[in-house]
Amino acid sequence: MFRTDEIIKASKLPPEGVAMSRKIDYIYFIPILFVTIVGTFHMHTALLCGDWDFWLDWKDRQWWPIVTPVTLITFCAAIQYYNWVNYRQPFGATLCILALGAGKWIAVYTSWWWWSNYPPNFVMPATAIPGALVLDITLLLTRNWTLTAVIGAWMFAALFYPSNWPIFAYSHTPLVVDGALLSWADYMGFMYVRTGTPEYIRMIEVGSLRTFGGHSTMISAFFSAFASSLTYILWWQFGKFFCTSYFYITDDRQRTTKVYDVFAYATLGPQADKAKLSGGKA
Amino acid sequence: MTAKHVFKLWMIRLCGVATLAVTPALDITPAFAHGERSQEPFLRMRTVNWYDTEWVGKSTKINDVTELRGKFHLSEDWPRAVVKPTRTFINVGSPSSVFVRLSSKVNGTPMFVSGPMEIGRDYEYVVKLKARLPGHHHIHPMFAVKEAGPIAGPGGWMDITGRYEDFTNPIKTLTNETFDSETMGSMTGIGWHIWWIALGIFWVGFFAIRPMYLIRARVLAAYGDEILLDPIDRKVGVAVLVLTLTVVVVGYMAAEAKHPISVPLQAGEAKIKPMPIKPNPLTVDVIHAEYDVPGRALRMTLHATNNGTQPVTIGEFTTAGIRFTNKFGASRVDPNYPAELVASAGLTMDNEAPIQPGQTVDIKVESKDVLWEVQRLVDILHDPDQRFAGLFLSWTDSGERLINPVWAPVLPVFTRLGA
Repeated sequence: MFRTDEIIKASKLPPEGVAMSRKIDYIYFIPILFVTIVGTFHMHTALLCGDWDFWLDWKDRQWWPIVTPVTLITFCAAIQYYNWVNYRQPFGATLCILALGAGKWIAVYTSWWWWSNYPPNFVMPATAIPGALVLDITLLLTRNWTLTAVIGAWMFAALFYPSNWPIFAYSHTPLVVDGALLSWADYMGFMYVRTGTPEYIRMIEVGSLRTFGGHSTMISAFFSAFASSLTYILWWQFGKFFCTSYFYITDDRQRTTKVYDVFAYATLGPQADKAKLSGGKA
Repeated sequence: MTAKHVFKLWMIRLCGVATLAVTPALDITPAFAHGERSQEPFLRMRTVNWYDTEWVGKSTKINDVTELRGKFHLSEDWPRAVVKPTRTFINVGSPSSVFVRLSSKVNGTPMFVSGPMEIGRDYEYVVKLKARLPGHHHIHPMFAVKEAGPIAGPGGWMDITGRYEDFTNPIKTLTNETFDSETMGSMTGIGWHIWWIALGIFWVGFFAIRPMYLIRARVLAAYGDEILLDPIDRKVGVAVLVLTLTVVVVGYMAAEAKHPISVPLQAGEAKIKPMPIKPNPLTVDVIHAEYDVPGRALRMTLHATNNGTQPVTIGEFTTAGIRFTNKFGASRVDPNYPAELVASAGLTMDNEAPIQPGQTVDIKVESKDVLWEVQRLVDILHDPDQRFAGLFLSWTDSGERLINPVWAPVLPVFTRLGA
């Protein structure tokens, strides 16, 4: 079914090398790569769009669909670069969002429920897995990061609101308390006391994206898609920067050359005794 | 790396491990307060002057409803260092959501969202609370000011008895459905997350069951990506893409059908009128004030005039939720008010006699108690603006209570040093 045998043969590794490479896959993939993404991406998200993702009463039509995808596509783009350019693996975005989800669900039950006693429905995180799948598949099918930035990143943001609506639609059900109309989410935020988070802290429903007859969500989604596209490009380049190794070598005639092929470092070893290695980035 | 460096590194690591190991052996007790004493004195004394605070029902059963209520005066001497109360919210200071707050009214107006309040005016709040988590809880009213932060009021103990497992909070919506705030939406949300996580794991797993990194890197470097791009990957990719888009569209439409009536989050502003200004026949001005640092006493000289028809007796000075009373005022303190916040013999005056109608007197008043130290109000010395504010409570012969806000600069004195 797969081309695995052909790929292994092309790698020219002996059987014990192949077996060892699989062990490295497992050790590297789960305990190192996945856990690192859980820690770093979870913190990045908590700092940049934390409140929109933590609280039910922050999930509005304007800021939530903008801030969250723009924040989430960052690591997706960088990890996609790493996995695609070095290994042609099209799962960087999905891996990131799964790792983030692991961190979030650990937080929901440890920080929010066990420690702070907020019910899970009040701190239910959003999902970005549908968008991440589409982003990864766009890269796989187009094999082109620019097209992925234009199509995949747009879809990543545009799908955010509709894919979360089944989870959160109920929270916009209206109710009347003391003669005031509230959404269920508003009332949840009111009922579950947050001592350090008074109501005015919420950044919701403020802004000028209010044309087209009040269809704020659509406008927010389009703006989010556009911003996500730009963010994707930026973070793809971050991925490139951090995945690129090079060094400088100065020869006998004092000519300095930037060498990207780090494997050449070993080849140049004997020569390096004479030449002066003058910095670089691993 | 030399042996010395290795030794140093290991010593640091050992210290870290030892610290962690010793921690559980130390006396660890739960924290019951909310850091209210660490708020600077000028913030507590010159912003919100709380009075008549009541923690109704010291012990409440799970699911029973109780109240936190009281009044406050926004000091005329509002500090320059604190943003003016143009956007405020009456909150509850509690260790997590031990109660769910069913409603909150300020001067009879619901306060679900924040709104402006006026300096120099009084407000009355009633917060309805439903007992949720059993325990012995320290509860404060809080006045949150945007860009200034929460200002804690006096804290009182409230007990909740029963079992959390019995807690329910069903609420009827405008669409005639009944939602329980503890569970509504949880299973639906978790179900959707499980579905998407499963699909995500399938997608990553589809590539993880084959050689992932080292082998592919070697092949890519040697031959480019033609061998690596397996045709089945594209086929599965298209299938997952179609499945994803279909589920998103169907899920969205199903949610729309299930919840056809929805409203956006409500982000309005509470419009709250202050309490009407009550005619007060007594005028009180502070003409001199000093804080005796080692003596833990605030001394004031009051210039008071009684313009009314009945004699008036001063009984209490309150600031930062602390109450200093003389014998006359002590008899009027609600016995349920936390004793740790009352200095029942803390107020002395050089002239305790009632102020007669038409009389103007200068009275030397001393509010003295260890509470100044315990509540960390002695730090007034370190404030950026050496002033204080508070309320004087006095009563007419017919029992009517008069409230006079006071404020003034305060000078530190060091009696023992000078003695």
